[in-house]
Amino acid sequence: MFVLETHNLVKRFDALLAVDDLSFSVAPGEIFGFLGGNGAGKTTTLRMVLDIVRPTSGSISLLGSAPSRRTAASIGFLPEERGLYAGMSAIETIVYFGRLKGMDKALAKSRGLDLLERFDLRDRAKSRISDLSKGMAQKVQLATALVNEPEILMLDEPFSGLDPVNQGLLENEIRRASDRGAAVIFSTHVMQHAERLCDRLLLLKKGRKRFEGTLKEARAQLPTRLTAISRFDLSSLPGVAEGQSSPTEDPEWREWSLKLEPGVDPSQVLEHCSTNGIALRHWDLLQANLHEVFVQLVGAEDIKP
Amino acid sequence: MTLANILLVAKREMLEILKLKSFWLTLLILPAALALGPLLGSNLENHEPTRVSVVDRSGGDSGKALEARFQFDETQYLLRELSDYVQRFGLQKADPDAPWSAHDRWYTPADAAAFEASGGIDGALSKIEAVRPEGTPRFEIPQHEYTFLVPPSALLAAQGKAFEQTARTLFANDPEDKNPEIIVLIPNDFPADLGIKVFANDDVPRRFVAKLQEVLTIDLRTRLLAESGVTGARAALVQNITPTIAIDTPPPGGGASETLMVRSIVPLALAYILLMSLMLSGSWMLQGSVEERSNKLIESLLACISPEELMYGKLLGSMSVGLMMISVWAGCAGIAAFATHGAISDMIRPALEPISSPGIIAAIIFFFVAGYIGVSAIFVAIGSMVDSMNEAQGYMMPVLLLIMLPILFLLQAILAENDGVIVQVLTWVPLWTPFAVLARLGLGIETWELVGAGTLLAVAIAAELILVARLFRESLLATGQKPTFAKLLQRLRAPPKVEN
Repeated sequence: MFVLETHNLVKRFDALLAVDDLSFSVAPGEIFGFLGGNGAGKTTTLRMVLDIVRPTSGSISLLGSAPSRRTAASIGFLPEERGLYAGMSAIETIVYFGRLKGMDKALAKSRGLDLLERFDLRDRAKSRISDLSKGMAQKVQLATALVNEPEILMLDEPFSGLDPVNQGLLENEIRRASDRGAAVIFSTHVMQHAERLCDRLLLLKKGRKRFEGTLKEARAQLPTRLTAISRFDLSSLPGVAEGQSSPTEDPEWREWSLKLEPGVDPSQVLEHCSTNGIALRHWDLLQANLHEVFVQLVGAEDIKP
Repeated sequence: MTLANILLVAKREMLEILKLKSFWLTLLILPAALALGPLLGSNLENHEPTRVSVVDRSGGDSGKALEARFQFDETQYLLRELSDYVQRFGLQKADPDAPWSAHDRWYTPADAAAFEASGGIDGALSKIEAVRPEGTPRFEIPQHEYTFLVPPSALLAAQGKAFEQTARTLFANDPEDKNPEIIVLIPNDFPADLGIKVFANDDVPRRFVAKLQEVLTIDLRTRLLAESGVTGARAALVQNITPTIAIDTPPPGGGASETLMVRSIVPLALAYILLMSLMLSGSWMLQGSVEERSNKLIESLLACISPEELMYGKLLGSMSVGLMMISVWAGCAGIAAFATHGAISDMIRPALEPISSPGIIAAIIFFFVAGYIGVSAIFVAIGSMVDSMNEAQGYMMPVLLLIMLPILFLLQAILAENDGVIVQVLTWVPLWTPFAVLARLGLGIETWELVGAGTLLAVAIAAELILVARLFRESLLATGQKPTFAKLLQRLRAPPKVEN
């Protein structure tokens, strides 16, 4: 059961193809990362899901129906470009957005005050937005997205412009929402956040999906690298695509840098060595990080020659 | 689209505008001006009669004739005012035969003489007081315009150039405001010497000079008639004979005496107030839209409500503010009418007459609201496309000129009781229809025109709202882009259907 599903989603702006045949799905309680460079189509996809822009073709199912404001009560959204009414107070702002999402005024106020308490802003509830610091205003805006305890929380580049303290606060809120069963979808191009938070990832490049899956599956996209010290020629082992060696202090032993063939499990290579009496002094697995996966799948083609 | 969201947006828009100092200033400036205007006017106005001395050295009666003539004019004016007052409040029973009980004549010297003979204003007021019901205001006696003083002895003694010097000295040394302000010198040899001299400490009113010339001309002609053998009494008859002019007008506050212009006062005021409040509330709403765009608020809002809900909320908020301003102004006008003991309401009763039937009231409400929606939607469209007030001004100026200039011509045409081509054209162009129809109600407008123009306006507004909604939806998120004309046309087109 998915709370969000898209099928063959396409969005064109005149000659520009912003989203190209995109299909993906998000389950309740899942933290889903939208990764891609500038112009990859992340924001456009989120806007289509929110019915702010209409797709050129394809379909979207949000909580079982087509996107519309009827589902606004179940959605929390934090846009990339953030701003609030300068003349309204913090609590007025949260209540206003809560009521736009169909909440009762008293409930919106009580939840708003709870959120401000959690964000250490309780004493500034009646302060005008124009009198708050940028960081405080960002917390208020996050509260407007959370006030209705949404089933789907969508955050567009939520970490941009946040100081480390607020980044930590946001990470906690994302985990908290996920823990209570909400699906969290956030776009980012900062791999560390995605690596720390996401259950599943979607990598986009120029509107097209390059990858969808778990972090482990993402890492598996790159060939595994090993380093090992042995007296034998490890480059000829089955499953090894490439191998280079360099001398060690002991002239009989060489340090090997190995690149495995795609899909080969490093433990198979280790097992082969032990079965065949190939002595090893050192064995180290170099696992690819998300940044390398991203560069490989998305960024490499962007690199100018 | 839900009404609750529209109302929420409208309420927020209203509260934002109510927080503006400029709103309160504008709201209070009109009543303050209305209240202070008459006060300042009455304080600035000089109520003291101008002091006049006539030095008649010809030995004739020219000086006395001059004084009598001014006295008659003032009595005639007093009789007209008294007659209006008596008729307005139905007090003729105080003395049905008195000249001031008749409202159908131009008062002659004989009427004035009869009035003075029967006790003058004091006699009339004592009769009126006996029948004046409680609550009816008292008659306010108009101030004399001129008072004639016996010339100071220094002036009578002065001859030649010394006369002028003495006159100037009197003007200059007058700490207690008791000396004459105008001195008329009739020379010894008048009428052989026609050199009448007028000395004054300020500009001499033209009416004074004209009257002086008229009285002395009559004197001259009487003397010439006498020289031609026409006796004094006969000559006086020739000079003074005047026809009796009967005047038939409705009573004060009852109709055409205040002319068609009075009938058009309220309709013109409606058109003008519509224009004024539209400009004000429209520009405040625009300010709010610019804030939403420049503060990057739009996307957060559109995640909760549809662009149409946002647009209609803004329209409703702007209209509510405008109608609130108009209500306050109307309330102030009502208080002013009450405070002036019905004098203003008497005056505007003929103006309210053409707009007092239920059908016309419904039409006024329709055209007022339609005008508000039609023009405010243009402001909404501008607000959806600009990122700053500077940018907004660039669109506002041509739009305002386009709306306002023809309306200025329209108001002038209505005041001139002209419902020619311009007025007809403006009636049928939806942008100006509400103003033209409201302004024309005083002169009278055919029912078919009212219904036809109203239908056309309703259709035009429906089409406008569809187009503005498309523009609004397509423009809201396009920040930082200056739309070209081709782009605008593209945004106005219907969005393509989504292919599944």
